[in-house]
Amino acid sequence: MRLLVVEDDRDLNRQLVAALEQAGYAVDKAFDGEEGFFLGETEPYDAVVLDLGLPGRDGISVLSEWRKIGRKMPVLILTARDRWNDKVRGFDSGADDYVAKPFHMEEILARLRALVRRSAGLASSELACGPVRLDTKAGRVLVEGNPIKLTSHEFRLLSYLMHHTGRVISRTELVEHLYDQDFDRDSNTIEVFVGRLRKKLGVDIIQTIRGLGYLVVEPGAAPPAS
Amino acid sequence: MVRWLKFWAPQRGSIAFRLFVSSIFWSLVILLGAGIALSAIYRRTAEADFDNRLDVYMHALIADVATADDPATAMPTHLGEPLFEISLSGWYWQITRLDGADKTIRTSRSLFTSHLPRLADLGATAREGGARQGYVTGPDARVLRQVERVIDVGAEGNYLVQVAATTGDMEGNIDKFQLALAATFLALALALIGSSALQVHYGLEPLRRLREGVGDIRRGGREHIEGAFPTDIAPLAAELNLLIDANRGIVERARTQVGNLAHALKTPLSVIANESDADPALFATKVREQAHLMRDQVSFYLDRARMAARAGAFGRSTDVMPVLESLLRTFPKIYPERRLLLINPAGLAPKFAGEQQDLEEMLGNLIDNACKWAASAVVVNLSRVRDAAARHLIQIEIDDDGPGLPENLRSAALARGRRLDETIPGSGLGLSIVVELAELYHGTLSLSTSPQGGFRACLCLPVID
Repeated sequence: MRLLVVEDDRDLNRQLVAALEQAGYAVDKAFDGEEGFFLGETEPYDAVVLDLGLPGRDGISVLSEWRKIGRKMPVLILTARDRWNDKVRGFDSGADDYVAKPFHMEEILARLRALVRRSAGLASSELACGPVRLDTKAGRVLVEGNPIKLTSHEFRLLSYLMHHTGRVISRTELVEHLYDQDFDRDSNTIEVFVGRLRKKLGVDIIQTIRGLGYLVVEPGAAPPAS
Repeated sequence: MVRWLKFWAPQRGSIAFRLFVSSIFWSLVILLGAGIALSAIYRRTAEADFDNRLDVYMHALIADVATADDPATAMPTHLGEPLFEISLSGWYWQITRLDGADKTIRTSRSLFTSHLPRLADLGATAREGGARQGYVTGPDARVLRQVERVIDVGAEGNYLVQVAATTGDMEGNIDKFQLALAATFLALALALIGSSALQVHYGLEPLRRLREGVGDIRRGGREHIEGAFPTDIAPLAAELNLLIDANRGIVERARTQVGNLAHALKTPLSVIANESDADPALFATKVREQAHLMRDQVSFYLDRARMAARAGAFGRSTDVMPVLESLLRTFPKIYPERRLLLINPAGLAPKFAGEQQDLEEMLGNLIDNACKWAASAVVVNLSRVRDAAARHLIQIEIDDDGPGLPENLRSAALARGRRLDETIPGSGLGLSIVVELAELYHGTLSLSTSPQGGFRACLCLPVID
């Protein structure tokens, strides 16, 4: 899962990025409205944390512009102006949720998890595929009830795949959603990660669709007719 | 009739009353003066006419005396007025020789045996040509108008020729004239009173409109004084509008500054809180605790500052339905698993007499509260009620199907900063700010149990008809 944090306060931005990275997300950051708008316009984020009080271009106009050009990623707005008037304005310009400052980091994490899940059309915070269960809240993976130890990259990869079960996901898409923009991207490493992940899970839920990408299905299910 | 009187008769102590009274007073003074002057002029003219008539007789007498063979004894022959022949008819003449031993007095028969008094003796001054005229008392005690003149017929002597007649006819005419004059002026006075009332009413009408305009603004029906005003009070209306705008500007600026302060304080507070959250040291715990305290204090006083900025603002009204609809559009995003239902059986479209932001704040906090606690659904019910003073109010009931609130905890729920369940997020200031806002607008918030067994918040707010 790749997120964008748009917050002009450097300290708060750093804290948010650190907390989100620790929670297993790939995070890009922007410090003003222009930069934030540009990233949101060009990069495929799974969710955005957007401060409304930004220098230069304010959050509301960034958000409504994204919606106008058809960017549909879930957006969590951060606002110090916690009046309903401001909240309603935020939602009306296309926000999916809000958190009023000052906030607890756990609240941001919980809201983001819910937003990502909802945008993938999933009802529960626990994703399941055959014997594999992924708890987004706790950041745990169980196979047939036994916890599996994954690195944050592996967890991020599995989480993204399991948020989109039943859909073929290309390597490019995986790269775009698993790494932040500063990462030296090499799609070959994806293959290595998928291989390691398969070995750790021990069950075959990740299928390779040659020339297209990967597909998560329950073990034993027939691969889609190509 | 009473209505009519009310319309025409201005209240004591009003400008209308002053204008009305002063216009009536001066009208009456002028009318009275004009009446007296006209009456005097008429009298003078009538007297002059009467004197002319007497002069004619006197000239005839003089002609008769002067041309007679013996002016001392000749009786006049050319008067041809039968009244001089009838005793005490009121019409008399008299010729008196002033020189010589023979001071014979010849009189008209009407004088019988009496004589006319001399004006010269009574102190009347002579006109040009030696004639005198004036009022005397006649033989029958009637007031007579008399003219007299001394003629000199040379060797035949000097004669005093007098003609007098009763003024009854003339006085009668003068009385008639004065009566007609009084009647005419009375009618004129009534017409003037009516026209000044009309003038005052018409002239002060713009002032009344101005007053109503200001009243509308205070009640929240309008934002500005509208309509065209006469040039002398148009600047006043314009100044009032500017004053209202300036007042709004101050409120708007205060609100913006408060918002900026909120932003300026809350971001660093977030940083402090997050930094201390990540650190298990005792010092960090203390910082965290204090940061939370500061957050609550900042929220509390920011809300109060916003409210204080608003206390001076007036003249705003807000359509309730769009506000409710935008909130009901928003909440499903915050609480996707709750159902929200708006019931408006009477199809009301009330106008709240106050600021949109305040209405949003009250309804937002109440619905948010209901959504937090509801098991599945929140129902918003709109109806119209009247309070004890028969004012129209909009009643908004917000019901949830949650656990509800025992009666003994309800007043505590409205108190400042009290949160009844720390596990449900929220600053805990929601209900108390609603109560204070509602009171600011002379509305009420009451808590009870919803038909679903949950919590019911009932907000009553004044509306504009």
